[in-house]
Amino acid sequence: MSATLKPGEAAPPGAPEWTTARERGSLALARFMVWLVRRVGWWPGHLLLYPIALYFLAASPRPRAAARAYLARALGRAPRLPDLFRLYFAFASTILDRAFLVTGEAARYRIEVRGLEALQARIAAGQGCVILGAHLGSFEALRLVADRGCPVDLAVMMHEANAARLKAVFDALGGAARQAAVIPLGTAEAMLRARECLERGGLVGLLADRAPRAERVLEVPFLGAPAPLPTGPHLLAAVLEAPVLLAFGIWRGPRHYEVRFEPFAEPLPPGREGRAAAVAERVRRYAARLEAVCREHPYNWFNFYDVWRRDAA
Amino acid sequence: MTSGAPASETIAAPAALLPQELDLARLIVSVLSLEVAPEEIAPEAPLFNQGLGLDSIDALEIALAVSKTYDVKLRSDDERNHRIFASLRSLSAYIETHRAR
Repeated sequence: MSATLKPGEAAPPGAPEWTTARERGSLALARFMVWLVRRVGWWPGHLLLYPIALYFLAASPRPRAAARAYLARALGRAPRLPDLFRLYFAFASTILDRAFLVTGEAARYRIEVRGLEALQARIAAGQGCVILGAHLGSFEALRLVADRGCPVDLAVMMHEANAARLKAVFDALGGAARQAAVIPLGTAEAMLRARECLERGGLVGLLADRAPRAERVLEVPFLGAPAPLPTGPHLLAAVLEAPVLLAFGIWRGPRHYEVRFEPFAEPLPPGREGRAAAVAERVRRYAARLEAVCREHPYNWFNFYDVWRRDAA
Repeated sequence: MTSGAPASETIAAPAALLPQELDLARLIVSVLSLEVAPEEIAPEAPLFNQGLGLDSIDALEIALAVSKTYDVKLRSDDERNHRIFASLRSLSAYIETHRAR
């Protein structure tokens, strides 16, 4: 069960696909979009998404094969070219929107929020909360809502490599205050920061659908086949005796998001007894919820690698 | 209290743990349910990655147990964290310096 996390190791040789090529591509794209929308505005940026989505669809066979395999499972039928295009277009749209949402320019966006009461109740009770998301839809849309309806700290924990990339995007946008709230995972300090944030009644966000190599994982059923999902985020919440909520920022169409909060788990009693079983149950239940959201909104899944491959995660 | 223990015994042990280090080793082994005898933990060996092979969640559990048992709070803004968590010996030394007596 206990495996080694390597702090500070950014995309080692043989790292999972998502830490390498595609992430680089999407960072370049994110930078370009930031530059573009700053100069010409949202509409020209939006129109450019069509050739951009087509380019990514045509240029990268491996992610395309992974996307096809995912869509076949989520749709329950063989995906056609328009299905693939919709997925890529939604992905590109969230990157364009990030440039707006991250700077708080969300006036023209329609953002429906569901389940905020669950989060507000925890906040009102002064209870720190772990919020689990996924690489599904837009984490920025979610963050926007959390920022608005949330008088407490929000810290997002990310793997070192992703944190560095996110920081680069934030730097490009000049959002120094926000970047401070990104905690790179993998060190004792990171865990202590999470604890301190929760102790202040703050929120700690983690994406619980990807694990770097050698992290603790558990194979659980996901869209019809076992997929290795990380146990770390659930374990962290258990160790810190924090309640857990799920959160998804679903892309519904141009400048239209649905942000959902769902109560997920109560704080676990202290001690190791029964913890492994409780964590395993939570990983399974998380996968089941994720599966349901994927079936409901199949074009929001932004993991362009084989999530079912054992050594991919 | 230590008068009964002949010095030769301490020297004969493969890795000479100080009494407070042995206490901490017992705490770590029990908190993390490690399959290693507390006496066998080399005091200077790295706790994380190589060595005992612990990860950052294990570190968090150790930090929580240390604050409960010794009333010593490890904080994220301590620049020495890397050194404090380096080995059993360094963590024990930190606790001994900061614990309430």
